Amino acid sequence: MDVEGLKAIGAALSIGLGAIGPGIGIGILGAKAMEAIGRNPEATGDIRTNMILGIAFAEAVAIYALVVALIIKFV
Amino acid sequence: MLKKLLTVRNLVILLGVVALFVVSGWLGLKVPPPHVALAAEPLFHIGGFAITNALLTGWIVMLILIAAALLTTRSYPKDLATASNSELVPAGMFANFIEWVVEGMYNFSAGVAGQWVSKFFPIVMTIFLFVVTSNWLGLIPGVGSIGLFEHPEDPAMHGYVAHGVVMTAEQAHDGEGVILVPLLRPPSTDLNFTLALALSSVLLTQYWGVKALNLGYFRKFLDLSGFKQGAFMGVIMLFVGLLELVAEFAKIISFAFRLFGNIFAGEVLLAVIAFLIPFIASLPFYGLEVFVGFIQALVFMMLSLVFFTVATIGHGSEEHH
Repeated sequence: MDVEGLKAIGAALSIGLGAIGPGIGIGILGAKAMEAIGRNPEATGDIRTNMILGIAFAEAVAIYALVVALIIKFV
Repeated sequence: MLKKLLTVRNLVILLGVVALFVVSGWLGLKVPPPHVALAAEPLFHIGGFAITNALLTGWIVMLILIAAALLTTRSYPKDLATASNSELVPAGMFANFIEWVVEGMYNFSAGVAGQWVSKFFPIVMTIFLFVVTSNWLGLIPGVGSIGLFEHPEDPAMHGYVAHGVVMTAEQAHDGEGVILVPLLRPPSTDLNFTLALALSSVLLTQYWGVKALNLGYFRKFLDLSGFKQGAFMGVIMLFVGLLELVAEFAKIISFAFRLFGNIFAGEVLLAVIAFLIPFIASLPFYGLEVFVGFIQALVFMMLSLVFFTVATIGHGSEEHH
């Protein structure tokens, strides 16, 4: 197998495996936030703000994987 | 459901899309696959200083923001204290809109930052407006697709043949071909821009921490108070301080790569979808990118605001469980 093919597999594995954790995390965050809004609709604003903050942290991990994938593929 | 979609208008649109496919295949309108450049390309040099397309677009974003600010505040009276109510009414729709955005953001920031809001708001709002403008600029047709033909610097890259002003899918043989260097490139797709913003944000965090707690701010990086409760506790607190120090550097990296990764990946996604299915298919992704551009700007602003606010709160108060 040549280097280009290995690079493609490496990049795909990097983002594919790296997206699993943040995906689960964002799913849990979203579900819990919906639950909380359902219980207390008056706190929607606060819950949404904190949810977006939490999602930003969870998503950062996926972005690291993406950057690694991009570096493998294009550099 | 299906019956509702089966209107004459929708059928015409569908036929039009199919016709576009056929016509473009028949005319032989083939374009080369997109050339993805991870780094911004230099357009020209001033002295030894390379002016990249991302830097140029950054200046354009600044000009847009300055023009918007001047347009909005032009009609306001010089002395706000003695102005009558009718003079304070925003003039025109644009001024109204900007005032609505700024006021909404101010109230939101006040909820997070409390008494510090008047100090933090100008900084985080500037970050928000700068980032959201530069994110959305990349979605305007022509940004990233209009550019100059240049010979690839990497001799391994062949490049493509240009017939007049159109680049065709024929590949050139031996380093003689051309690649398109776009004139404009959204600043957020350049790591230098996001890194600069991240550094400013983290350095400002230290600044506000020192401003609020004087030199006591740095106690959280080198915490010796644990030794009062024995050597074991002291070592643990030292280690926690080390972790705090590492976290500051992790902040820089995560700020920079979050914005860069999201926006750059969005650009690549749009290009790839447009080259897989030329028509219509990119539309939903376009909408997604508009949303992502806004959310990333909001996240950058919100995280800066939260970090500023956390820095102004003494570390000691957290230990009273």
